[in-house]
Amino acid sequence: MKKIILPLLIIVFVGNLYAQQDSKPSKTQFMIRGYGSASFTLLNDEGEKESSFNTGNFAPIFLFKLSDKLMFETEMEFAYENGELETVLEYANVMYTLNDYMTIRAGKFLLPYGTFMERLHPSWINKLSSTPLGFGHDGIAPSSGVGVELRGAFNVSGSKFNYSLYSTNGPTLNDGSDEPEEAGILHFNNFEDNNNNKSFGGRIGFLPFTDSSTEVGFSFLNAKVGDTDSTYEDITASLIAYDFSFIKKINPLGGIIDIKAQYNKSIVDDASYIEVHDDGDEEEYTFANTSDSFYAQLSYRPTMSESKFFKNLEFVGRVSELNTPEGAEWESNINQKTFGLNYWLSWRSAIKVNYQITDGEGGHGGGLIDKKLFTIQWAFGL
Amino acid sequence: MKTITAIAIIGLIGLASVSCSPERAALVEGKPGVQLWGENCMRCHNTPSPADFNDTEWSTVEMHMRVRANLTAKESEKIFEFLRSAN
Ligand code: HEC
Repeated sequence: MKKIILPLLIIVFVGNLYAQQDSKPSKTQFMIRGYGSASFTLLNDEGEKESSFNTGNFAPIFLFKLSDKLMFETEMEFAYENGELETVLEYANVMYTLNDYMTIRAGKFLLPYGTFMERLHPSWINKLSSTPLGFGHDGIAPSSGVGVELRGAFNVSGSKFNYSLYSTNGPTLNDGSDEPEEAGILHFNNFEDNNNNKSFGGRIGFLPFTDSSTEVGFSFLNAKVGDTDSTYEDITASLIAYDFSFIKKINPLGGIIDIKAQYNKSIVDDASYIEVHDDGDEEEYTFANTSDSFYAQLSYRPTMSESKFFKNLEFVGRVSELNTPEGAEWESNINQKTFGLNYWLSWRSAIKVNYQITDGEGGHGGGLIDKKLFTIQWAFGL
Repeated sequence: MKTITAIAIIGLIGLASVSCSPERAALVEGKPGVQLWGENCMRCHNTPSPADFNDTEWSTVEMHMRVRANLTAKESEKIFEFLRSAN
């Protein structure tokens, strides 16, 4: 831990030196931003009640603008999980603007696989305190990758397109040799590759209307996912996602309507995995390794209200579902509904009150899932 | 799945061709920074005000957002010029 805190403090100190020279801006610009959250949760898991204050997370972001074309960005995330401090390097990449239509990035970056992880997951942006099913831990959608990316945006007669093409180390297949209950799952967090094949992916976004209110996107990611020299060497995964976004101030409704949705699908080639029975016998099994997940979120904020209090309120509803393969040890069909009421203290700080109902079957524990979660979260952008 | 993808692509091309017209291009071309700020900066998060940052900070945010939010070069130039002029 000390190893991380010391360099952090040095960066903060040097950053302040830069900041103090505002009247004479240095060529290198440095900025610390980031976000954090704290929350209280009350969980009813099939009748068993648990409540807890959570330290939530703290995620500092460092931005170094080295010239008009060159920039370095990095984000670290600190969170307490099961009594231990977890540190994650969310991203760390350098970007260089080649021309008006192309920027190249290299390092670890958030993947434009749909829009949730790249654009909406920080706690001060996410309108609910939880992530939709299918993202994050045990998710089927990748959040970041290590590699290179080319991206850009351009106008075509009043409509706007944006694109991203990337190659990364790619996902890894869990073949079950260490964790038989996870056989067939893809892992996405790969600083080092398990094979020589690099993944290839991208997203194309289209904003048809001149007011940029609507965007539809299509993303894909293809890769070989097995370990080199294993029987899984030639197993490939192909992932696709569709995303939709609509946001507009609608005068007759007196405020802003915001709709976000994303569908993810992951298809992994069939492979045989080994199940070890209690008596030590081994059995080969296989299944169609296809998973999908979906979420849609609607929110409304009465920004045109006369009352300062109502202006800062926001009403949110989200449905989400996750289906993992039938026949897998991690087979599940889960549905979730989340309702939220937010009070915005500033443009990047909100108190969120959420009620979330999750039901279905499967997952790690197996059996039926019936959870009701009440959360109060204070999310703040720094 | 392939059919869904095909329909999506055809739909996109259809939408793109319907929306093509020189007047629309000129309309977008002529939008001032303040309008582009109002339309674009709320797409993912609440809109920051010009006074939230100083000029140097805005120019750092400019590059960060231009890349992250896939703004066109012209769009981001106009928006951040406006933010720097009004803070
Ligand atoms: C496509 C989504 C998207 C759009 C559109 C967008 N932002 Fe952001 N913005 C983000 C995300 C995501 C972050 C958080 C960055 C992170 O945590 O890595 C952010 C962070 C910020 C921050 C905090 C400082 C920083 O750079 O991280 C500022 C300021 C900001 N945005 C300003 C703007 C302005 C001004 C606009 C309008 C031109 C804009 N944003 C449009 C997604 C967007």
